[in-house]
Amino acid sequence: MSSLGARNVTVSYGGDPVVRDVSLDIPQGELTMIIGPNGCGKSTLVKTLARIMKPDHGQVLLHERDIWSYRGRQAARHLALLPQNPVAPDGITVRGLVRRGRYPHHTLLRQWSPDDDAAIGFALERTGLGDLAEAQAGELSGGQRQRAWIAMVLAQQTDLLLLDEPTTFLDIAHQYDLLELCRELHREGKTIVAVLHDLNQAARFASHLIVMKDGRVVTEGPPPQVLTPELIAEVFGLACDIVPDPRTATPMVIPHAALSPPRA
Amino acid sequence: MSRPRGFLVLGRAVAVPVSRVPVTVGLVLIVLVLAACVATLSLGRLGIPLADLPGALSGGASGKAAFVLERLRGPRLVVGLGAGAALGLSGALFQTVTRNPLGSPDVIGLAGGAGAGAAAVALLLPGVVPVPLGALAGALLAIALVYVSTGTGFRNPGRLIVAGIGVSAIAVAFIQYVVYAVERDKATVLTAYVNGSLSARSWEHAATIGIVLLVVAPLAAAIAGRLGLAEMGDETAAMLGAEPGRTRTAAVGLSIVLSAGAVAVAGPIAFIALTAPQIARRLTRGTGPHLTLAALAGALLLVLADLAAQQLPLPGSLPVGIYTLALGGLYLGYLLVREWKKGTL
Repeated sequence: MSSLGARNVTVSYGGDPVVRDVSLDIPQGELTMIIGPNGCGKSTLVKTLARIMKPDHGQVLLHERDIWSYRGRQAARHLALLPQNPVAPDGITVRGLVRRGRYPHHTLLRQWSPDDDAAIGFALERTGLGDLAEAQAGELSGGQRQRAWIAMVLAQQTDLLLLDEPTTFLDIAHQYDLLELCRELHREGKTIVAVLHDLNQAARFASHLIVMKDGRVVTEGPPPQVLTPELIAEVFGLACDIVPDPRTATPMVIPHAALSPPRA
Repeated sequence: MSRPRGFLVLGRAVAVPVSRVPVTVGLVLIVLVLAACVATLSLGRLGIPLADLPGALSGGASGKAAFVLERLRGPRLVVGLGAGAALGLSGALFQTVTRNPLGSPDVIGLAGGAGAGAAAVALLLPGVVPVPLGALAGALLAIALVYVSTGTGFRNPGRLIVAGIGVSAIAVAFIQYVVYAVERDKATVLTAYVNGSLSARSWEHAATIGIVLLVVAPLAAAIAGRLGLAEMGDETAAMLGAEPGRTRTAAVGLSIVLSAGAVAVAGPIAFIALTAPQIARRLTRGTGPHLTLAALAGALLLVLADLAAQQLPLPGSLPVGIYTLALGGLYLGYLLVREWKKGTL
């Protein structure tokens, strides 16, 4: 059972396709992480799944209907995406930012709904930003700011949450902090998809892995089954051992050295 | 249903955000606009004395007062209010879309095109086409050139500005050519249309800009929310369902219609579209495009500049556009100094 999937999706930015003929289903209730080398099309795939990029060929299905047959706000009540580089407008407070996640639930004249306060309160509390609600978003630290953006997409109250490289600009402690939050949300029933760079983090937190290379899905499944030295060598060109993580027993990648120079 | 704080709620269908600071700023601006209107009507040799003003406005004007109110200053004042509001709103839409505090439809060739159109009809086809119509046609032609040469319509703000600067340069060159090559004597007539003027306005001018505002303002209000979301970046806006590409095209289109309307009734008045939204933004320090406040600030600026044009004892009667140009120059200088002090320039 899946509420979001791709059918033979090919996506390009005008030139060569970046995502090539990808078909997949995002497993319901799982914490899915997409990994792959730079330029493999993982961010583009997530943007296409989130109705930000339109596929050249194929369809993205949301609840078994073409996602482009939904109106923008209607799709945004089912699915939220945290982009890589959101911009906080000048002068906005954390609460104001989180409130913008309620936009899909409003109409032209009714820019407030009775559920707003509860949804905003829940999102602030869940991300530990209750005390900073009235602070200026521009004055937050990097980790706090990323939490504020997460709070905005939580306030959207969607079943599906997509995160495009959510840890990229965070230091290591805040990376784990954010991944823990994802895991908690997943346990509370959200279906989450995140693009991640760090294989060991993905192996530790994901319940489902999708591995991409050159615009295609190479393999997918639970991390212990997917992550093998052969796969890492094939996809990343990296010789490695896979050992159980001493804390969590999830697969851990111990690199030897690059097999060939990394591609640009 | 709990009562939300910070919202104006009318029944079940309507709830719009209302907060204290913008409402206060708006009320202050309205009071200032009214004061400027009173000053415009009552100052100077032909002014209607303050004591007679309420009577004159309620229909009891006669003789000189009626002439001043109905022919001389009344239409001029209303055109000033309307064109100022249109320019302020136009600039607010444009700056929000381009995320550029120096953005205004002037920059993308609208003013230059208007001047070139006016020059063309006034000096090449005298008496055949009314000069304001020429200005409007020139402005629209310039915008059409910009639209075509960006290759992506109004979607990409960077290309829009680059194409606009090019088209402006062509327009200015054309004006210079006409002025030098054709008829130097008549060039003085042109200053009004190259700079913008409010002298000798009629009620038709006032009705024209009034209709433009009545049509465009509700449309602008309808996209205000989506414009605010577009400030968070295209991907964020798109994923919230705010359709950033279409919103941008609509905002630039409305901005151009407003500016073109102002050009049609008052010529290409400089810098109001640039400064009014900045003033609105600075006074509130909040988020959002501040459309209403920018319109009020624009009306205030233009009426004040025209008051100066009418009452300052300078030789010759300068068109109001010269005053707004000087005002805008000072403002740009202030911005430059500020950026220089911050070390960002």
